[in-house]
Amino acid sequence: MKILDKLAVLDRRIIYLLVGLAVIIPMLIPLGLPVDITRPVQNVYDKIESLTEGSIVLMSTDYDPGSEAELYPATEAIIEHCFRRNLKIYMMGLWPAGSALGERALDTLARVHGKRYGSDYVNVGYRPGGAVMLLSLGRNFRDVIRVDYTGRPIDSLELGRQVRSARDITLVMTLSAGDPGVIHWVQYFHARFGTPICAATTAIMAPRQYPYMNSGQLVGLLGGLKGAAEYETLVKRRGRGLTGMDSQSIVHVLLVLFIILGNVILINQKRKKSAPGAG
Amino acid sequence: MFIQTIGIWIGAFLTLAIFSFLYRDNPVYKVAENLFVGVSAGYWAVVLWFDFAWPNLFAPLFQGRIYYIIPILIGILMFAPLFPKISWLVRIPLTFTMGVAMAVAITQYIQGDIIPQLQGTFLPLRGVPFFTAFSNLLIILGVIFTLIYFYFSKEHKGALGVGAKIGVWFMMVSFGASFGYTIMARVSLLIGRVYYLLHDWLRVVR
Repeated sequence: MKILDKLAVLDRRIIYLLVGLAVIIPMLIPLGLPVDITRPVQNVYDKIESLTEGSIVLMSTDYDPGSEAELYPATEAIIEHCFRRNLKIYMMGLWPAGSALGERALDTLARVHGKRYGSDYVNVGYRPGGAVMLLSLGRNFRDVIRVDYTGRPIDSLELGRQVRSARDITLVMTLSAGDPGVIHWVQYFHARFGTPICAATTAIMAPRQYPYMNSGQLVGLLGGLKGAAEYETLVKRRGRGLTGMDSQSIVHVLLVLFIILGNVILINQKRKKSAPGAG
Repeated sequence: MFIQTIGIWIGAFLTLAIFSFLYRDNPVYKVAENLFVGVSAGYWAVVLWFDFAWPNLFAPLFQGRIYYIIPILIGILMFAPLFPKISWLVRIPLTFTMGVAMAVAITQYIQGDIIPQLQGTFLPLRGVPFFTAFSNLLIILGVIFTLIYFYFSKEHKGALGVGAKIGVWFMMVSFGASFGYTIMARVSLLIGRVYYLLHDWLRVVR
């Protein structure tokens, strides 16, 4: 029991160190743990696979650098899949800092796939206004979007001219870290215009989206870094999602052990207090 | 390229500065924290002006659409409480904002959430594979028992009490799932930073 007493007063920095090592070591020495594909992620993949060439996917980068670790890998994996399938990407964002992240991913992958700005993809940047803006957008894109991310008139771009209302969008893919985000796309854009919605969300938000999947309002869902890793597996592209999965698994095992150990220590302390003769 | 390298080094330094708080509070951490707050505020100010106020309000006004002066005036009234004699004028923008927000939210909440979610609980229990039927039954019972817990017009005793208790169990499972996902999210953020240090900065991870 002496060990349990010592563990009860363990310096919390030792736990931080162990968690740090559990993240770093699997990155340096990959274990290649398997990544199972879940139904919500498979649904997103199948939906994009089912689209005909030239279909327009609206990607909304509704996150900022605070959630970059979770959502940027998903952004890259989705763009990769769309470009491979020769789908057109119309990118926008409900969060101010998301557009820059989206632009980075678009630029990098467009160069790899030889895609042309204006005809294969556009980025119209941050669009403020949340719910009200989405309702206007679905009716008439021109009411909300007149210039692209760099200030170029939207009508000077082939894809910009092509998209006039929600009817021209085949699928909305929102990469969402909060409000405004996936809930707005579901409650406003999908409910009013019927456009199918897929989402990649932070892990914290993922449980709240399952009722929307159950009701058919969401087609599919990528939850956190795990969702991105699953998608990378499906599109056969090793990115940050898969690189981080070994660390994620090891840390989870470590945390489960900590929780069990913490409870054992707590029970031990309670037993000692309730023992006859205890102070 | 040189600028990019400098940026990566600054990013790495700031990441390590924030992590140094795990050991204990220190001046380097404080510098990084205050820098973050300042940069965020500055970034927001620039974005709100160039992406929000200027293109949606001031640009149309200067292009001759003089009626855009109305929202500007209504917006200025938000500052009325600073002047006690005219502080009551703040009610105008507040009631306008509340009215519009409620109108948009109520209609869409019913159309986009309540009705589809209700429909989502009308699930088949027969003519589907056993596991699907079992999952559907769990969803239906979960909704019913959780709603019973939130029924406050009668004391939770007898059958109602049992139903409410089962509702609590359903909610506990839901909270547990949310907590698990929260841990996963936090670990992912740590992985993101460590990946940045090992891949972008030290280049020891491919």
